[in-house]
Amino acid sequence: MEHDELDSLRRHPAWRLLSADSAPLVLDVLGAVFVDSGGGPMAETDLVQRVDDHLFALSRTCPGRYPRPALEYVRDWAEPGKGWLRAFYPPGSDGRHYDVTPAVEKALRFLDGLRARSFVGTESRLDAIVTLLRDLALGSEPDTERRLSELERRRAELDREIEAVRTGRSPLLSDTAQAERFDQVTRLAVDLLSDFRQVEENFRTLDRQLRERVTRWEGPKAGLLDEIVGSRAGIAESDQGRSFHAFFDFLLSSSRQEEFRELLAQVHDRAGAPSGARTRRVHHDWLAAGQRTQETVRSLSEQLRRFVDDQTWLENRRVLDLVRSIEQHALALRDTGPIPVAADLPDTHPSLVLPMERPLYRPRTKAAVASDDVVEADAVLDATALFEQVVVDRERLVGAVGSSLAGAEQVPLAAVVGRHPLREGLAELVAYYTLSAAADTTFDSVVDDTATDRIGWTDRDGVDRVATVPRLVFTR
Amino acid sequence: MSGRPSPRGELDLSLVLVSLYKGVVQRDTHERAWQHLLHLQPQVRDHVGVVGLQLVVDESEGYAYLRQRPEDDDATTDAPRLVARRQLSFPVSLLLALLRRRLALHDAEGGDVRLVLTREQMVEMVRVFVPESSNDARVVDQVETSIAKVVELGFLRRLPGDDGALEVRRILKSFVDAEWLHDFDARLAAYRDVLAGQETA
Repeated sequence: MEHDELDSLRRHPAWRLLSADSAPLVLDVLGAVFVDSGGGPMAETDLVQRVDDHLFALSRTCPGRYPRPALEYVRDWAEPGKGWLRAFYPPGSDGRHYDVTPAVEKALRFLDGLRARSFVGTESRLDAIVTLLRDLALGSEPDTERRLSELERRRAELDREIEAVRTGRSPLLSDTAQAERFDQVTRLAVDLLSDFRQVEENFRTLDRQLRERVTRWEGPKAGLLDEIVGSRAGIAESDQGRSFHAFFDFLLSSSRQEEFRELLAQVHDRAGAPSGARTRRVHHDWLAAGQRTQETVRSLSEQLRRFVDDQTWLENRRVLDLVRSIEQHALALRDTGPIPVAADLPDTHPSLVLPMERPLYRPRTKAAVASDDVVEADAVLDATALFEQVVVDRERLVGAVGSSLAGAEQVPLAAVVGRHPLREGLAELVAYYTLSAAADTTFDSVVDDTATDRIGWTDRDGVDRVATVPRLVFTR
Repeated sequence: MSGRPSPRGELDLSLVLVSLYKGVVQRDTHERAWQHLLHLQPQVRDHVGVVGLQLVVDESEGYAYLRQRPEDDDATTDAPRLVARRQLSFPVSLLLALLRRRLALHDAEGGDVRLVLTREQMVEMVRVFVPESSNDARVVDQVETSIAKVVELGFLRRLPGDDGALEVRRILKSFVDAEWLHDFDARLAAYRDVLAGQETA
C-alpha cells in the first residue's frame, strides 16, 4: 500500500471509527447488539433502548464521559460523515431500522487481532494451504492422464492409512494439533459470519453501479437493451453472486447440514476441544445471515428489473427533463407575485357521500371518576385462570411431527397439520415453530423465508381461519 | 390442507370493491384485499365499469386504484363523474413535481424501495423558488401547508414519530406522470409569455 492510498483510507468509516473519541462506546454497543448476537436489522426504538441501557451502566463507571441522549448518538452514528450504521425503512414498517455497516465489523476484527494470543498455530494452517493447493492443482489440470495419476496417488495414500489404522499403528492428533485446528475452525467460522454484511454491501454497490450505467446511457435504444440484458444478470452473474449462490446451496442441502452438525457435535463432545457456544450454533447463524442476504439480493434484483423496464426508464428520463424546465419557469416567475397557474389532479378514489350514515349529535355524558379513597385490595385471587386460556400439549405436537416423519426424510408443517388438524388454533401453530429449539426432540427444522404456506383451522367459535406463515420443514 | 383461497373457500368481491372505493389498495397495507383483488380483476373491472370507472393495477409496485374512464369513450351515458378532480395551487403543484423528480432520482440510486423525506428536506427543495423577501418562517409555513395538502391527496404519508418524516408514496408516479408534468410546464410557459407581452406593451 502506498502513501496516497493509505491517506485516502483515513476517510474509510472503519478508520474514522477507530480514531473517534467515542470509539469504545460505539464498538461496545454495536458489537454487543449486532455482531455478537449474529442478529439482523433492528428498529430504532429497540436500538435506542439498548444504547440507553449501556449509557446508564457507563454513567456509573465513567460519569460524564457520554453526556448526550441515546437517540442523538444513534442518529449521529448513521450520518454520512460517520457511516457506522445504515438507516432505512423496511417494507411494511413505519419505523426507522438500523443495521451496522461492514466497517464496524472490520474495526472489531482489527481490534481482536491486537489482543495477545497465547499461541499462534502454524502447522494446521500450512496443512490447510497444502490441501487448498492440491484442490486447485487437480481442479485446473486439463490433462486426463495426470488427473488420473494424481487421484491414484491419493488412493494409494488412503490405502496406506487404512492399513495403518487396521494394525493400530496410526496415532491420533496430538492435543496441541487438535487445539490448533479447533482454534482455526472457530476463527474461520466467525469470520465467515461477519463477512455476510460485506457480501450484502457488495451486492448493494453492484446494484448502484448498474443503475448508474443505465441512468447515464446515452446511446440508441438497441444498445440500451443490450445493456439491460447484461445488467439484469449482473447481480446473480458476478463473482460475488456465484460464490454466494454456491454457499447458500451448500447450506440448504440437508445432507451437508447433517454432516456439518454431526462433525460439530463430535468435535465439541470430545475432550480437549474448548467449549464454545458460538461455534456450536454457528451454522444456524450462517443460515439466518445467509437468508437475510438472499432476501436482499432478491429484492435488489426485483427493483432493478423494474427500474430498467423500458417504459419506466424513458418516463423517468422525460420526468427529469420536464421538471428541469418547470424549475426554470418557476425561478423566472419567482418575484412576479402570486402565480395564478394551477394544475389539477383526480382523486385517488371515488367520492361517495352517504348522508344517512352520519350519526346524529349525541350529548356526551361525563363519567364521574371518584378516586379519593382508593385502598389496597386484600382479596386473594387466583390468577392462574389468566394463564390457562389456551394449553398446547407439546408432547402431542412432538408426536404428530414424529409420526409424520416416519418413512420420510423431511416433511413440511402443512403436511403435519393436514394429518393432525390444529385444535388450539394460532397458539398451537406458533408452538410448532418452537419445537426444534428444544433438546428433547429427535428432529430438526428449517424455516424457508422465501416460501409461505397457508394453514387453516376452525376456532372455538366455529369460524374458519387461515394464517400465512413462512414455510417450516421438519427434517430427521 | 388444500390451497384454498380464503377461509370460506371463495373470493370476497365485496371486500375488494369497498376497499377500492375507500382508497388505494396496497399490497403491504391491505394484504387480504390485495390477494383477492389479484384473482378478481375481471369481475372488478365489470363492476366498476357500470359506474364509469376503470381499475388500474400495478402488480410490480403493489398498488391498485379506481379512476374515471376517459371521456372520449363515446359517451353512452350522462352519468356525472364519480372521481372528483382537485384544483391545485401553484406551490402544491410545484411540490408534486419536485417530489416526482426526487422519486426518479431515488430509484436511480438504488437500494431501498421507500423514499422518506423530512420536512426540512422539503423546505430546502422549495426554498429557492420562494421570493427572497419572504422570511424563513413564512417559507416553512407555506411548505407545511403544501405538505398537508399533498398528504390529503394521498401522495405523502406522515410516519409516526416526532421528527417530521414523511414517506413519498410510490403511487405518485402514476398520477404525476410525464403527461401531467408536460401540461404543467406548458401552462407555466404560457403564463410567462403573457407576462412578457404585458411588459413590452
